[in-house]
Amino acid sequence: MMYVSEAWRVLMANMARSLLTVTGLIIGVGAVVAILVLGKSMAGAVDASLGGFADSSFIIYPNPTQSDVATAAIRLRDLTAVKATVPGIMDAQPLGFHSDLVRVGYAQVRYEISPDGPIPFNTTPLHYGRLFTDNDVAAAAHVCIISNAVYQRLFPNGGDPTGNNLYAGAQRYVIVGVLQPPHHGFINATFSGDIIIPWTTYVDTYVRGSTVFAGRFIADNPASIPSLEVAVMNELRTLRGSSTIEYETFDKTQITQGINGVFNAMTLVVALIGAVSLVVAGIGIMNIMLVSVAERTREIGVRKAIGARAGQILAQFFVESLLLCGSGCGIGLGIGLVIGQVVNQVAIVKITGSIAPIPWLTAVLVAAAFAVVAALAFGTYPAYRASRLDPIEALRYE
Amino acid sequence: MNDAPVIELRGIVKIYTSGPLELEVLHGLNLTVQRGEYVAIMGPSGSGKSTLMNLVGCLDRPSRGTYRLDGVDVAGLDDNALAAIRLRKLGFVFQGYNLLGRADALNNVALPLFYAGLATKERRERAMARLAEVGLADRARHKPSELSGGQQQRVAIARALANDPAVLLADEPTGNLDSATSEELLELFSKLHGNGRTILMVTHDEGVAAHARRIVRLRDGNIVADAQR
Repeated sequence: MMYVSEAWRVLMANMARSLLTVTGLIIGVGAVVAILVLGKSMAGAVDASLGGFADSSFIIYPNPTQSDVATAAIRLRDLTAVKATVPGIMDAQPLGFHSDLVRVGYAQVRYEISPDGPIPFNTTPLHYGRLFTDNDVAAAAHVCIISNAVYQRLFPNGGDPTGNNLYAGAQRYVIVGVLQPPHHGFINATFSGDIIIPWTTYVDTYVRGSTVFAGRFIADNPASIPSLEVAVMNELRTLRGSSTIEYETFDKTQITQGINGVFNAMTLVVALIGAVSLVVAGIGIMNIMLVSVAERTREIGVRKAIGARAGQILAQFFVESLLLCGSGCGIGLGIGLVIGQVVNQVAIVKITGSIAPIPWLTAVLVAAAFAVVAALAFGTYPAYRASRLDPIEALRYE
Repeated sequence: MNDAPVIELRGIVKIYTSGPLELEVLHGLNLTVQRGEYVAIMGPSGSGKSTLMNLVGCLDRPSRGTYRLDGVDVAGLDDNALAAIRLRKLGFVFQGYNLLGRADALNNVALPLFYAGLATKERRERAMARLAEVGLADRARHKPSELSGGQQQRVAIARALANDPAVLLADEPTGNLDSATSEELLELFSKLHGNGRTILMVTHDEGVAAHARRIVRLRDGNIVADAQR
């Protein structure tokens, strides 16, 4: 394409001027691309920091501020009934924590004990052993899965601890599993203690009376959580015999939505900065293109004299603007990718242990869109001016 | 068609308007140039030479009168149609060469071929042939700054010939050259004329005009002499 090679020669002949002209574009595109790259990893970091919280689980608890708290309180038998009657509920258990002293050699350390089931709420992967079985739950077996922190404390020499006993208060549990260290960066939202026992065992051992302060449910798939939350709350109202009692829900999307909301606001601010820099850079580009047209008035006259149509002159100068903007956005794209990746390596990797793949397609499309918009908005007028020059006057121009 | 005149100007009047002032530069000028002629247009400055050249070169339109170029009435054409006429039927050679400094000789000659829509390979071949015609085949890859004035003007002539025009228009083509180089360039024009080209040259130099076969003298917007030699 002759227009492109000619335009390239012009830009290269004015290298310093061209670079200075597109500095604004470089900064704008660089900032937007960097935030794009970071955005992907940030979303991943949010997800990873909630990694222990099962995607398909949700929690329902009575609104503590309502007048009839006593009626609204969830009973153990309500959970069993919900699991039996609401389709799509895979499991229903009480949520609870019991703090107790665990014997470590001759010392005692206080740890939280919490319930779980065969489909775990705490999805932190296993390092040793196994999850609970249906039998563990049915028999209310005295078995436990310990967190990595407990494992490090109780078994400083390492090795597979399964089969060993753990003494917590007056109870003895056989260790069947050890979890890997969790990846929580800024939030620990597993609602799980350091020692996990079958929920039936937990109820038998630590729950006084028949009410629990919250129910934990597992949906058949994460997408049906919103509808299941409604179904479970309705079922609870039926079971409790009151249509006016209120329940609250909590699930993973509520956390991620909150964090993503903050992050989206940040993205919007950066997008605005990008838009402002686009306008500022565009005015500079228009200015330099008008200078270029004025400098090359005679050249334009010659081109017209030898038979260039107005459209061909327009195309030549427009391609030059496009190439100018394209180079700027290309450089900005590169810088943005590098900055994004560096921040990823420095900050995000520590949270998630991995970084999201670079969103190449989006980044390239954003940079290309910037280039085309800038060239169209700010390169068209100078090119039009060039194309309208009178050849006789242009030829006379010194 | 072939025995029709290449240039036929009838009653050409050109009036420049500047605010309330009107200045008539050409006063009903008639001029006919046959195919294959080598015509020099002479006259002192202010005689209307440049205006006539701009009209013949389709860079400007007459205020009155008709102009037929190669059988086409160009008086009523729009800008794009005039550009097409300049591209296909006219070749300009300027006093100051007016080559593109960034492009080498070959690309300068290829420029009109690009505007004519030829493919890269064909452009290159035709441009190369034109450069050979003016004796500069070995300078194809040189930029104008690496060529002498005479060589630059030869490249300009090759560019003017690129699309095989009906008329070659030269405006003081030797004005920037020393006498020895001028002589070489005028030999080239004579050779082109010998090959059947129609040439229209504006000059104020009698020695240069002496190479032409016909001299048209302008004074105050009128043709005062028109002599075959």
